[in-house]
Amino acid sequence: MRKVIVGNHAVSLGVKLARCEVISAYPITPQTQVVEMLSEMCASGELPARFIKVESEHSAMAACVGASAAGARTFTASSSHGLAYMHEMLHWAAGGRLPVVMANVNRAMGPGWNIWMDQNDSLSQRDTGWIQLYCETNQEVLDTTIQAFRLAEAVDLPVMVLLDAFYLSHTSEPVDVPPQALVDEFLPRRRARHRLDPKEPHAYGALVRPDDYMEMRRDQQHAMERVHAVLAEADADWARLTDRTWPAAEAYRTDDAELVLVTSGTITSTARHVIDARRADGERIGLVKVRLFRPFPSALLRRLLAGVPRVAVLDRNISPGHGGIFAEELRSALYDLPPDDRPALYGYVLGLGGRDVTPDVIGGVIDGTRTAAAPEREDLWVGVKP
Amino acid sequence: MAEPVTATRDAPLISVSRASTLANRTGSWKYIMPTYRDGVAPCNARCPTGVDVEGYMELLRQDRVDEAVDLLLRENPMPAVTGRVCHHPCEAACNRGHFDEAVAVHLVERELGDRALAEPPPLPATRREGRVAVVGSGPAGLACAYHLTLLGYTVTVLEAEAEAGGMLRQGIPSYRLPRTVLDRQLAWYRAMGIEIRCGERIDAAAADSLLAEYDAVFLAPGAHRGRPLGAAGEVGPGVVPGLEFLRAVNAGARPDIGRHVAIVGGGNTAMDCARTAQRLGARATVIYRRTREDMPAIASEIAEAEAEGVVFEFLANPRAFHRAHDRLIAVECDRMAQGEPDASGRRRAVVAEHGAFSMYVDTLLTAIGEDAVLDCLPSAVPVTNGTIPADELGATPATGTWAGGDAAGVERTVADALGSGKAAAMDIDRALRARRGVDVVLDAPSLRWAGGAMSMSRWRGDDPVQRTAPANDVVAFDALNPVHFTHLPRHREHPDAGQHGGAAPDGSNGGSGGYGFAEVNPGLASAEALAEARRCFNCGVCNACELCLMFCPDAAIARTADGRFSIDLDHCKGCGVCARECPRGAIVMTREGL
Repeated sequence: MRKVIVGNHAVSLGVKLARCEVISAYPITPQTQVVEMLSEMCASGELPARFIKVESEHSAMAACVGASAAGARTFTASSSHGLAYMHEMLHWAAGGRLPVVMANVNRAMGPGWNIWMDQNDSLSQRDTGWIQLYCETNQEVLDTTIQAFRLAEAVDLPVMVLLDAFYLSHTSEPVDVPPQALVDEFLPRRRARHRLDPKEPHAYGALVRPDDYMEMRRDQQHAMERVHAVLAEADADWARLTDRTWPAAEAYRTDDAELVLVTSGTITSTARHVIDARRADGERIGLVKVRLFRPFPSALLRRLLAGVPRVAVLDRNISPGHGGIFAEELRSALYDLPPDDRPALYGYVLGLGGRDVTPDVIGGVIDGTRTAAAPEREDLWVGVKP
Repeated sequence: MAEPVTATRDAPLISVSRASTLANRTGSWKYIMPTYRDGVAPCNARCPTGVDVEGYMELLRQDRVDEAVDLLLRENPMPAVTGRVCHHPCEAACNRGHFDEAVAVHLVERELGDRALAEPPPLPATRREGRVAVVGSGPAGLACAYHLTLLGYTVTVLEAEAEAGGMLRQGIPSYRLPRTVLDRQLAWYRAMGIEIRCGERIDAAAADSLLAEYDAVFLAPGAHRGRPLGAAGEVGPGVVPGLEFLRAVNAGARPDIGRHVAIVGGGNTAMDCARTAQRLGARATVIYRRTREDMPAIASEIAEAEAEGVVFEFLANPRAFHRAHDRLIAVECDRMAQGEPDASGRRRAVVAEHGAFSMYVDTLLTAIGEDAVLDCLPSAVPVTNGTIPADELGATPATGTWAGGDAAGVERTVADALGSGKAAAMDIDRALRARRGVDVVLDAPSLRWAGGAMSMSRWRGDDPVQRTAPANDVVAFDALNPVHFTHLPRHREHPDAGQHGGAAPDGSNGGSGGYGFAEVNPGLASAEALAEARRCFNCGVCNACELCLMFCPDAAIARTADGRFSIDLDHCKGCGVCARECPRGAIVMTREGL
């Protein structure tokens, strides 16, 4: 059934269709609608899940950790400072190999206090061991939320679904809401391999000495490596059921391209329009959208970008002291290519704190990249007042 | 669907400890620890009779109604009476009043009192040697007789009037205290073995012979003589002491008081006079020299009087009376003003320069206070300032003689009189046992509910309510955690269920407005009264709600076989969550024992 819904409610509907069993969350702008709708579903009985009210995001994730360890399918949502407040418990979920799913609405970190779109909140959690999937549309948000549970439970790792503040969270788009039977076929009930059992008490997260710790981390890394195959398989099943596919990284009009933009989130949609216009003018320009950020789809990106002369990465984030984070990741991924196939990589930092990234802004990036002799030593800041 | 890649996955490598965490003695971290320490609920502390209100409310919560009645009867000899006429300071003190509305203790008490009267009275468990004479059958005398009887003594009550009850019968109108209730109460005492002899007026000589005949004498003659106003022309037709008027009406007389009746005074006697006069068909006006806020009468009595049509003339005081043909026709009043505060903290009433007025009255009833008539004292008992000097336990300077109630300077309420009779019963018990060589110490402070009235259960040492000791601090509202309570409206009496329009049992008419002598306040239906008891917070006393157990982050709290709680001090880290969460302030954090 097609519905016109905001991105936040696309998350809520996805969680409901996934037959989530425990939800614990703390409200924060611009995420609140996600759990607001879920709490109403729980209250009305529409969703037979336990909604645990808490006093903070730290406790929300702690509750999710407990519920997930008990074997329940578990969800939370947060944003920005709320996510930052969860930081310690993000490690507990990932290190505990608990398939918690979280929707994080990307919002800038303060100060200065800012509620608008920016990826620094989730990218700051890069090394907590969470899988991260960045969405472009509300349809992708709903589909990704459902896929996230299957992915998480298949590899015993937590998944973060990312959607842009306001551009998705509060913008209504037509979304095809799949029937419950379809989702049930795609997503079987969770089968936890470890499960808390009061009849056989034992403690999770116990002390591990140096002689065992590395093995745990390597197991976690192996699980991350398996994500690529599991996600591809899940997405293939999803495509079979819905005719929609969401690859880890998607190439758009990259054939014979002299310049390829690399984007994530809603900038992608804007860039598609710019590329269509430039292609109409005969310019050989394409796009690669990165959906999966952790684990980073390095092999796939090498395949998509090998031999492209110039690549411009549009980063709606900044790692202070280094540069745009997607650009940084992509540079190291492309380093493995033979020098002849290795594109010149141009990094651009733009759109922080909700600043608009318009077709003109993207056009400027394209023109700047095409005319540059060589990449600057540091990423360029776009549209910044002098 | 194809078998997913993940179907063959291994279990993820995680760290799990199968050893018990009890090996970690985290209790060694604490520098402060929780202790279950029951306090005293403010209702108990403020009850002049010393009733364990909190205790019986808890028994009612557990549906242990018979035990609740028994607990109440340990301390209060006449809950059916006090449930109707007490000014219930327990409710003014009730912590629930800070949350929504105070528990309607008096209505619960009344229900239990009525249940008690429907059953045989309690009987003494043991008999003790000793005969005690009680002079006066008002609440103080009856309380002393009741408690001494239950302690095993033989008691004779001597009443000057033809019927027992003292002020309960002489002063309190039947619309507040139906005579059927009082009569059943007295029959109940007689069934306990208390001898009540009426028509026995005691003078000094008779009192001396009582002292010789009995092992102890308790004097509770009350205060029955109305104080004169001290205004010109006061002595004469039409000016009647209010108490005398009440006594006559309560005895069944219907004196002709005319159409316009004024009552002078602001206490409960004044309210009783005014409402009784209304019932005889008069229009009653209360003349009071101070303001409404200064009135010593129970607030509900004032409100009910007003609802029944009684008019109030505040800041006025009679100064002269006018008569014609030997009939009172008018009273002339000074207009009063408020002066400097007096010893009671109320502003002194002073005569104002202007505003004197006269009003037509057929009868004026005086109700500005009563004095004790102390012609019944043994010769060895002195009189000080018009009262019998008695210590906190009622002992007078004369050996073998105790006193209580209005004549002994006790606060003039039924509840205080009951408390004074009980305190004296304890001291008489001590003295009579001492006389037989049993030396028992009576440590009054430890027997009092946190500085309030004495607890007979504590004196007897057999309190069925097991509280942790030491338990003698009042628990204030800020020591509670009201987060765990839900708002519940106080149960109210249904006016329709009352008998406002009804005729008195003797068939006499109601007065103006249709108010009769039948009971005004209907009480609650039995189920409602028991439901009201569930509004009690049980301030300060653990009632095993188990929130401490649920909230303890170290799972260090467990129920014990006797239904209480134990704290595993090897694992309690002293975080204080239990004390913080306890809804009733029954857990304290302390360094004691560490």
